Amino acid sequence: MKRLAPVFSHVNPRQRQFEALTRAHAGDLYRYAYWLCGQDALAQDLVQETLLRAWKSLDALREAESAKPWLLTILRREHARLHERKPLDTVELDDNLAEDAAWASPERHGDAAELREAMSRLPHKYREPLLLQVLGGMSCDEIAVELGQQPGAVMTQLFRARQKLKSILQGGRAEVQHGLP
Amino acid sequence: MDCLEFRRRLGAEPQSRDPELLAHRDGCAACRAAWERAQAFERELLEALDVPVPAGLAERVLLAQATGERQHAVRRRRVAFALAASLLVAIGGGGLAWHQLDARSLPALAVAHMPGEIRSLDLVRPIGAPAIAAGFADRGVRLRGPAPADVTYVHDCPVGPYKTVHLVSRVDGTPVAVLYLPHKQVARTRDFHRDGWHGRIVPLAHGTLVMLTDRGGARPFDTVARDWRVAIDGEGDARVAGSDGVDAEPGRLAP
Repeated sequence: MKRLAPVFSHVNPRQRQFEALTRAHAGDLYRYAYWLCGQDALAQDLVQETLLRAWKSLDALREAESAKPWLLTILRREHARLHERKPLDTVELDDNLAEDAAWASPERHGDAAELREAMSRLPHKYREPLLLQVLGGMSCDEIAVELGQQPGAVMTQLFRARQKLKSILQGGRAEVQHGLP
Repeated sequence: MDCLEFRRRLGAEPQSRDPELLAHRDGCAACRAAWERAQAFERELLEALDVPVPAGLAERVLLAQATGERQHAVRRRRVAFALAASLLVAIGGGGLAWHQLDARSLPALAVAHMPGEIRSLDLVRPIGAPAIAAGFADRGVRLRGPAPADVTYVHDCPVGPYKTVHLVSRVDGTPVAVLYLPHKQVARTRDFHRDGWHGRIVPLAHGTLVMLTDRGGARPFDTVARDWRVAIDGEGDARVAGSDGVDAEPGRLAP
């Protein structure tokens, strides 16, 4: 009986690299995209557009360790393009949450569903650096480079992001919406 | 690091393993408690953000990419095919144009004229200067020098678009067909070989001489060209035809 050769032996290295990249990072990209835009279908589209764009410039990726931040950067740009084409209906939370909230105890934070709800209410400017840190695994300095901001400003945003989350979980400003489902 | 700085760092980077931060944590009970609450919050935050990934997402992306690549490949093949077809058409068109251009070239026209006049090469009796002069006069050309010896044929022949004087000169018994094209100017002398004929095109002062022979190559062309240059342009020395011994019936075929 004739033995069939493995399929992958006919796939070129670039294609194999792309498949590995896709399988390794599609999940993380989806989560990031979901929390960035708040919509499942849109998040999937963003992931696909991101990876297809990555395929076109795959030769620019030199190190495997750089893959995730590289893909996140592409995804952020795709999301920004989406906003340029069709501005999303978003309303920012009030920045002037009571500073006391910064020291609020997180004991009262709810379960994952409440935390997701709170996350969806977090203003974009706080949500984005927080996502890059928690989901992207980036340091403050890396986030600062990614967002084109000073590291100190990023530190402040990350600090405030967590405090606002805790504040929302404690019932503060729960009426504020920002357009996410 | 004081407690305030610790709390600020903790609020911004709860996962930090900065030794200074950890040292303060280990030395301050209140901050240690805050650190533990922060770690718990981070775990819950990470869990909350860990939304389920739609099944088959990676596969759908790979399918879209592979499909796109195949479409690109098909488009590339179509473009390549169109380019190849265009190239073939261009080459074919170019070949046809070259063929048509070549068919109208002087060598082609001269050689194409010869089959109808092939028996003129067999004439052996000189026709004499008056007959030669008369043949040129029919084309409005007056000879400026003496006509060559051993001219056995003269006729006014159309060759393609040209009105020519068709002559046959013999050199050491070898007949050479001579076509004189009044007013036709060429840049330079050139030899050619076509369909079994040796030929040479020679520019003269007011026209062009085309010599053809199918016997023995281009050897007699120098002599014939020199003779006709003397006769037509009046330059140089040549073998001269006399009016004596002129064939009473010019153009008669050799026995």
